[in-house]
This record gives sequence, C-alpha cells and structure tokens, in this order.
Amino acid sequence: MVLIIQVKAIRPSWLGIFLFAWTLLSGPAIEAQVYQGRELVKAELVANTSAVVAGKTFTAGLLLKIAPGWHTYWRFSGDAGLPIELKWKLPDGWKTGPLRWPIPLKFDDPGDIKTYGYHDEVLLLQDITPSSSIPPEKVTLAADANWLVCERICIPGSAALQLELPTGLESSPANKELFARYEKLLPQDQPSGNNVSLGWSRSGTDLHLKVTGQDFARHRQVDFYPLPDEKTIVGHPAVASHSGDEVDFRISLESAADNLKSLPGLLVFGEQADGSDRAAWNIGQASEVIAPAAGGLPAPAPTRGLLVYLVFGLIGGFILNLMPCVLPVISLKIFGFIKQAGQSREKILRSGLAFTAGIFAWFVGLALLLIGLKAAGHQITWAFQFTNPYFVLFLGVLVLVFALNLFGVFEISLPQGATRNLLGTADADGDVASFFQGVFATVLATPCTAPFLGTALGFAFTQSAAVILAMFVAIAAGMSLPYILLCAQPAWLRFLPRPGPWMLRVKQFMGFLLLATLVFLLYVLGAQRGLEALTWASSFLLAVSIACWMKGAFITPVASARAKGIAIGLILLLLAGSGLYFIGQKFRETQSGPLSAAKGDWGSFTPARLESELSQGHIVFLDFTAAWCITCKFNEASVLESPSVREAFQRHNVVKLRADWTNGDPEITKLLQHFGRPGVPLYVLYPGNRENPIVFPELLTRGILLDKLETISGRVASQ
Amino acid sequence: MKIKAIVTVVSSIFATTLLAIDSPPVGSAAPDFSLTDAKGKTHVLSNYKGKYVVLEWFNPECPFVRKHYGSGNMQKLQQEYTGKGVVWLSIDSSAPGAEGNLTGEQAEKITTAWKTHQTAFLLDPEGKAGRAYGAKNTPHMFVINPEGKIVYEGAIDSKRSPNPADIPNSTNYVKVALDESMSGKPVTTANTQPYGCSVKYK
Repeated sequence: MVLIIQVKAIRPSWLGIFLFAWTLLSGPAIEAQVYQGRELVKAELVANTSAVVAGKTFTAGLLLKIAPGWHTYWRFSGDAGLPIELKWKLPDGWKTGPLRWPIPLKFDDPGDIKTYGYHDEVLLLQDITPSSSIPPEKVTLAADANWLVCERICIPGSAALQLELPTGLESSPANKELFARYEKLLPQDQPSGNNVSLGWSRSGTDLHLKVTGQDFARHRQVDFYPLPDEKTIVGHPAVASHSGDEVDFRISLESAADNLKSLPGLLVFGEQADGSDRAAWNIGQASEVIAPAAGGLPAPAPTRGLLVYLVFGLIGGFILNLMPCVLPVISLKIFGFIKQAGQSREKILRSGLAFTAGIFAWFVGLALLLIGLKAAGHQITWAFQFTNPYFVLFLGVLVLVFALNLFGVFEISLPQGATRNLLGTADADGDVASFFQGVFATVLATPCTAPFLGTALGFAFTQSAAVILAMFVAIAAGMSLPYILLCAQPAWLRFLPRPGPWMLRVKQFMGFLLLATLVFLLYVLGAQRGLEALTWASSFLLAVSIACWMKGAFITPVASARAKGIAIGLILLLLAGSGLYFIGQKFRETQSGPLSAAKGDWGSFTPARLESELSQGHIVFLDFTAAWCITCKFNEASVLESPSVREAFQRHNVVKLRADWTNGDPEITKLLQHFGRPGVPLYVLYPGNRENPIVFPELLTRGILLDKLETISGRVASQ
Repeated sequence: MKIKAIVTVVSSIFATTLLAIDSPPVGSAAPDFSLTDAKGKTHVLSNYKGKYVVLEWFNPECPFVRKHYGSGNMQKLQQEYTGKGVVWLSIDSSAPGAEGNLTGEQAEKITTAWKTHQTAFLLDPEGKAGRAYGAKNTPHMFVINPEGKIVYEGAIDSKRSPNPADIPNSTNYVKVALDESMSGKPVTTANTQPYGCSVKYK
C-alpha cells in the first residue's frame, strides 16, 4: 500500500515543522487504496476550522477522491454495494453529531440493478464538539473509514486516518471552498412557506407517496430516494404519474411490517437528467410531517359517558332549529301551525307527527348511509354530501321549485290526482306534505353544525354503528322537540297570531327567503366549480322555472286531456334537454379548481405550512371553513374579520391560516379528525412554543377569542 | 416502416418492464429454468422437485463471494447440506465480457482450485435465470422446498461486509432456513436484503 503523506494548510512556524515531523511518525493524514497499480480511492480527514477551541463545535469530514469510472455508496446503497463507514476515535468527553451525507446519484446497471452513490469525489460531514478541557497546542483526531468502491468489479477499501489540529482560544475557518461546496449538496429540510404537501397511503405491498405543490412538481427530474430500516426491503421507487402540480411515487415493498405506512427518504429534484443540478429535501416518517399539526392534541378520549353525549346530541339538534340555514323552512312550519290553530287537535297532532317523521327519516337514512360508508372503510364526516356539487345543485332545484310554489306559480299535485299544496296548506290530506317539509328542513340543516352537536358527532363517528344510529336519533329528537311539544300541547298555539288574509303575503315572502337560500347554494357551487359552472347551473334552474310555469299555466283542471298531454310532453322535453345539455355536458366538464383559501391576510393551510410556522415558534390561528357552511361565514364576518379581532391578531403577530373544506380535501379531513370533529366550523389556536392547541366553540364570540389571545401572549412574554 | 418502429419501441418498453421485476415473493413457486453446467450437462430446476434446492449467485471476482469462499464458509455449508440430500446450484449470470463471466473450462478450474462442493455449477451468460429470480447480488441466496416453493430469499448472513472476520459473529440465514424448513418448521427469517456486488448482467 502506498502512503501519500501530506500536511495541509500549516503556517510556516515551529508548530508546522513540529506537526510535519509528528505526522511522519504517527500516521497518515491521507491514505490511498491501490488496486493492480491503480489508485482507486484517496481518503483524507478534513476540518472546517484552523484550530480546535474547547467546547466549540466544528465540522469535520471524510473526503474520498475516487478514480474516474468508479463509485462508492450512499447510506442506503440500493440493490448492491455497501455504505461508506466512518468511525471516529475521539478523546473522552467529545461528542459527534449525525453523519451528514450529500445527495447521492442514482446508478442504473444492467439487470435492473439500481444503486445510490458517489463518483469522483465525496465529503461526508459530521459535527464534532470538543470537551471543555482540551490538550494544549494540538490534538489528534483519529477515525477508521471503510468503503466499497466499484466499477464493474468491487473492491473493499479501508483506512485508519488521523487529523492533526492545533488547539487554542480562537479559530478561523479553514477549507472554506470545500465545505461550502458540500454544504450545498446536502439535503435540506423542506423550506418554510413552501406549498408542498405529502400524502402517504398503502395498498398491499405498495406504498404511494403523493407530493402536491408547484415547488416540487415543476421540476423536470423528480425522484424519491428511500431510507428503509433494516426490517424493510424496498423495490425501486417509481414515478407513477407526474402532471400539473402533483407527483405520485409508487414504492413497492418486498418485505415490510404490515403497519408500515411511510418511509423516510429524500425528495430529489432538478432539471438535468445527469443530476448535476439536483437538490433534495429530507422527509421523515409521515408522522413527523403531519403529526406536529396534531402534536399534543387534546385527546378526543370519551371522558364522558355515552348518555352525556346523547344529551349533547339532543340539545344540538334542538339548537339546529335556530341556525341560519334552517330558518326559512322552520318559519314555514310555524306558519303551518298558525293556520292549524283553529283545527281539531287530532289533525294538528297528525301533521306534527308527520313532520317529525320526516326529520327522523332523513337522520336515520343519513346514519345508515354513514354506517355503510364507515364499514366500507371511508372517512365519515358531517355534511359530507355538501362537498358534492351535484348534491348542492339538486338542493338548489328543490329550493327553487318550492319557492315558485309559494309564489303561486304552480300547485304541486301529488299522485291520486288530489291537488295539495305541499308547503303551505295542512288539510287532512297534508300529512305527506308535512313529512316532506320535515325532510326538507333537515336536509337544509346539515351544512351547519351547532354547539354541542360537533362534540357529540365527533364522539359518535369513532364509535360502533349502534352508537352512531343512537346519536342521530337523539339529534332528530332534539330537532323535533318544539313540534312534538306544540302537538302535545295545542293550547300553546293560542300564543301564535290568528290566521287571516295576511298569510298569503307571508307565504309569498317565505318564497323570497327560499330564494335567498338559493343564492347561498349558488355561491357554494361557484366556490366549488367556478363561474362557468355557476352559469350552466343557473341556466338549468331557468329551464326548471319555465317548466314550473308551464305546469301552472297549462296543466289545470279545466284544460283538455290533449292540451295536458302536449304540455306534459313539452315539460319533460324541456327538463330532459336542458338537464342533459347544461348539467350532463357543460356543468360536468367544469373542473373543481384549486380552492385558494388565501384571501386578504389569511394564508392557505397545508400540513407543511402549519408545521413550518410552528417550528418557527409562531402563534397560529386555524380557521376550518367551507363555502357551504353558514355558521362559518357568520363567525368569519362577525368575529374573525371584526376590527377588534383583526387588530388583536396583528398585535400578537398571529399567523392566520384558513383550511377550506368546501370540496372535502382529505388532508383537512384528517386534521379535523385529529381534533375529534366531524366537520366545519373548527377554530384552533396554537399558542406557539409547541404548547397544546386551544380549540374554540363552534359559535365563536369576540370575547372568548380576545381573552385567549391575551392569556397566551402574556404567557409567551413572561417566558 | 413507421408502424414497425412503433411496435419495436413499444415491445422494448414492455421487455424492459418485464425485466424490471423484483424477486418472486417468498412462498411463491420458484420459476423454472434450464441451464447447462460447467461440464456441459443440462439441469432443469423442476426435475429436482421433491428435494430441497439452494440457488447461489456467484462471481469469482467479487470480494463478497471471496469472503465466503476464502474463509471456507461456503464450501462447508455446501458440503454439510449436499450431504443431507440438498441440491446446491451455484449460478454465474455474468455476461460475456463482464467481470466473472466464465467458460465451462474456467469454471471447472475455479471449483477445483477453491475445493467447492456444490451439486452443479451453472452457466447463465444470458442472465435468464438471474432475471427470473431478480438476483441482484453475488452472493444472492434462494432456498426452495421439495414442493417447489421459495422459502428463503436474500443475504447469506447477517453481517453486511466483505470482511471474513465477521463470519463467526453472524447468523447464517441460509443455514437457519434449511434447518427450520427441513425439520418441518416455518422459516422465521424468510426474506432479507441481500448484500454484495451487483450481478454483471449484459
């Protein structure tokens, strides 16, 4: 073995001469691996400091210079090879940090053999902290290095290396260019304020990593270099798809624990196929990326008994009657009661029970659907149906038709030829109408969660099917409570005003309330699908209005059978034609655009963004909202955007992030579930310094929010 | 012309995809192959049904192979288990011109000089068997049971190094898998990450 002995960067002084002589006696600073007369690898220890200062951390490194065509291996070598090893032999009391590896290259050999490593030159970096007492004048740092260097064949190499450094009270940087060059080649943590988010999933023996965000996906070359543990054998990660702002990696697992859901590794990106401009981010286990958002969560452990939660459900159901989205329909029911006031007790009772049955029917149906979805492995949430634009559209049509009915444009005729007014009258045959009123009121109630309701549902969704069903029955009972009471005690109806001709005007006015609801639903559609979708949906609604008008104008008891037949044919044609064209074709073509939750001084929530803000110790306020959530809009307008709250947020340097759940974003669903919530709204304040987040009630008030802000900022300031 | 070019491109993409398969999973049927040995005799894997078979990927130039032959570790293992009726097949999948590619004559010389005890030394210069098994390293080991199922796939032992001094302190996975399987027990460690040089396919 040829030893090349060289002393670097020593000032011409007695110390230098001394060191040179010492090096000759004690061992090499550089060692070369020679194979068949060729020098394959030159190994050397280097440091970024001119001198060692007691207790002051510096960076040392193993520099390997590799012959052209040969390569050494990364910490995960891939299908063949062995990682470079570096073992320091330091004096007692010295400490080392983790070995830092520059981003490797990926080598592809015949037979689908992929390895990760370095050619030409590599520097592995490691921080070293000397003890507080170090020898005077100089110190010798020793390390054993092992590597495997391969071209076509592989040759193991090893070296016992030493590094001489003077000691002193001061030091200046050394090997600046070399260290700077390799610091730049180290993988970075994902930068803060970066819009990239990660999603892991596992299906059988495949792991999927979905990376969403322009900052990653815009690069031409993207890759994932895995860092599996000893128990995990990975196949080759492959880019399954790369389009727009999303990259999907598929990572096959040859052998892995059943509960393995993610892998640490590097997300590598650049423009050049040869990797010359590559950069990379470290990613940990998925839990490390997403969990901090949920870190130190108030556990949703059922500290209360089932009965308490059922009572919460009952109260929540009752309060639903007062929530802004249900009010128009509820007022109609009250209107019905007014009209019934003079009628027989039996009729009132039947109508009230039918209404209640409608409420129960919807809730029980919804419970069964959710139980089914849960059994099929879906994540279940409250108001999930509002994330579907077709459901919103359907509801819009329903609301419009009822409004037109109230205006008197047409009468609704139910089967058996009997003409009944579905929404207004409550004659003896109106039970069916009452039933549907109940259903309708409840459907409209779902975009809201009321106080108590969120807590109760959040609990129920984690429980058995029986508990979910019981919870929905409790909520239905709560919502029906006022009507059941009125039916049971019709005498109380005395307190309501007497019926009279004013009721026609009230009925028409209620139609406008329903149109207001329609405006809200159209706003939701616009938020989900954009302006074009809004236009096509409105066009369809126009066609529906015309159909309703034709029904009222031409299908009358006095019209001839032939005229009725023609009218029915035209109505069906109009509905089918406009439905197929406006909805089946045009509306369907529109895409759910990426929702930008970032408005005004609100940032858009992503798990990565939240994590980066928290890691910087910022106070973060999270607003979970959706376009269809009226409670959310109400809270935003009355509390979050009020001058006093805005001012307080600003004064305490609170980072405001908004999570828009309009389209049911699964990342947001995950975080909602971390907080044990079935849906929006949800308000969370992270006090900074990794303290437990504070969860606010659904009906936010300025007082509570300002109060909490003062408390936490007082605490932070006193630290 | 154009169509032919497209067909060629598509089929070569398919070919590479097919080649890019991982090792067949442990528990699945061992892919069959037919290879000639150093003496020119043909061996068909399925003819060995009813016996335990060990497949060992070999390259005389590889320091990891030398670790186990230089120390006598591999020969000892071969002797012990062929003595118990196990069929031991060493396979060289190095392509002509690549390191470790051997003619029958050269292979004979090496097996004599190294005093090896395998049942047969198989030549796989086309890499057919190697690719069918997703053999990536030398040595890369497979144990096949009498029903023709793979019961072990991976490294020869637990110390991933080219240093023969590590052998006494390592667990030999092939030995453990054979012992467990031959005494009717399930194999506890049935799949490990192999280590060594890459197989020098063409």
